[in-house]
Amino acid sequence: MARATRSGTRTDTAVLAACVALSLVAMVLPAATRRSLAGTIRETVVGPLIALQLQAERARGAFVSRDISAARLDSLVLRNADLRDMEHENQQLRRLLGLGARLRTGFVAAEALHRPEMGDAQTILVTAGRRVGVVERSAVVAPEGLIGKVVSTEDATSTAILWTHPDFRVSAMSADGRVFGTITPHLGEGAERFLLEMHGVAFRDSLMPGTEVRSSGLGSVFPRGIPVGTVLRDITASGAYARSYLVRPAVMPADVTVVMVLLPVTANLESAWTSPAAADSLRLNVNRHADSLAAAARRDTMPRDTTRRP
Amino acid sequence: MKSFSLLKAVVVFLLLVVLHYTVRPLLGTRVSVDFLVIAVLLTAVHVRPGAAAVIGFITGLVADSLSPLSFGAGALAMSAVGFSASWLKAAVFGDNMFLQAVFLAAGKWSFDVLYLVAERRLGVGDMAVQLLLWSPLSAVLTGIVGVLIVLTFRLSMESRP
Repeated sequence: MARATRSGTRTDTAVLAACVALSLVAMVLPAATRRSLAGTIRETVVGPLIALQLQAERARGAFVSRDISAARLDSLVLRNADLRDMEHENQQLRRLLGLGARLRTGFVAAEALHRPEMGDAQTILVTAGRRVGVVERSAVVAPEGLIGKVVSTEDATSTAILWTHPDFRVSAMSADGRVFGTITPHLGEGAERFLLEMHGVAFRDSLMPGTEVRSSGLGSVFPRGIPVGTVLRDITASGAYARSYLVRPAVMPADVTVVMVLLPVTANLESAWTSPAAADSLRLNVNRHADSLAAAARRDTMPRDTTRRP
Repeated sequence: MKSFSLLKAVVVFLLLVVLHYTVRPLLGTRVSVDFLVIAVLLTAVHVRPGAAAVIGFITGLVADSLSPLSFGAGALAMSAVGFSASWLKAAVFGDNMFLQAVFLAAGKWSFDVLYLVAERRLGVGDMAVQLLLWSPLSAVLTGIVGVLIVLTFRLSMESRP
């Protein structure tokens, strides 16, 4: 009897050791293999559970947005007296809704499933996959700007890393296309973790706080013109060979439940996101050039005194 | 009678898995009930430690499939928690409601510790906040809800003979 108990205990320990070993193997597998394995499980066993989770998140979204909708309705009733304010709000809503219309083709709308319970989420599950044309490295965006990048795709779902992920990189530029750099997550502690950094800005260039930063399209991963964030301050280290800036992101991923996945055909999106900052910059440039032309014209029309020349 | 208990256990296990993917997203809070841990712990009480480890491993893999970047961490943590729960429950205590809550809460906290250490994603500061603030709160909630589930379904927490 005692021998049987000892034998059973040994078997249990061996089974545990096997499970632990398999788990460790799963953890050290190449990222592509891990994603493939996870995708297979997700598309088969966990598929119905994901569908349930999607329904639950929709229900929660409806519950949460009910209060927001009620508050908006109250606000609209109050603002009804002031037609100008209402028109302004209407324009804002039209801009949000109009993003999809301006993009026209080259995107798929999908829902984003978060997994926030263990610390900060760095990945989302997107409910659009290969079946609708999503490929790896597709950009994931919201009406406010860039959220992340697809890292693996299955038939009906995709996994995307958010800009909070340490591996996230995007080639960026100022909205006026004058200054270029690379955006990375700001891996600070506490609330600062939800910021970005713009590295590799040449010393001859500088960015003022408040400057809008967009994707530059270099590297062909993200199309040009997607809003990334706004410059907060210069954080260039002493002795650095290039400037670095702290950037406030355009989108907080936790707030996003509906996303757009840009398909590879999308090339330049500068016209999809209208930017007051870029418009101001453009207006200033036009004014500066107009002044230059006027000055040149004045010089040309001034009478030249050639009689005194020998 | 024995087959009825087995059927009930399987149904409750599947129900808890479904609750994990429906109730948790519905609440959407950072302090949340881990129904998967409850399912594994309630099952672990009635099976051998080896079987509990296998059940934990499979459940962990299912959970990991939603976060491919930490694939394997959940399976590792759940295997260890299932095995330990089965071994501890047989060795330590019987059918006391308070101890059941403590048992479930300790299981959830242990799972979080193992998971976060294996995952190696959070920095020291964030991990400390997670393990000393959010995880204990989630563990307490998991313990309370676990006991409610035991009472609702009249599950026996007596260990296997």
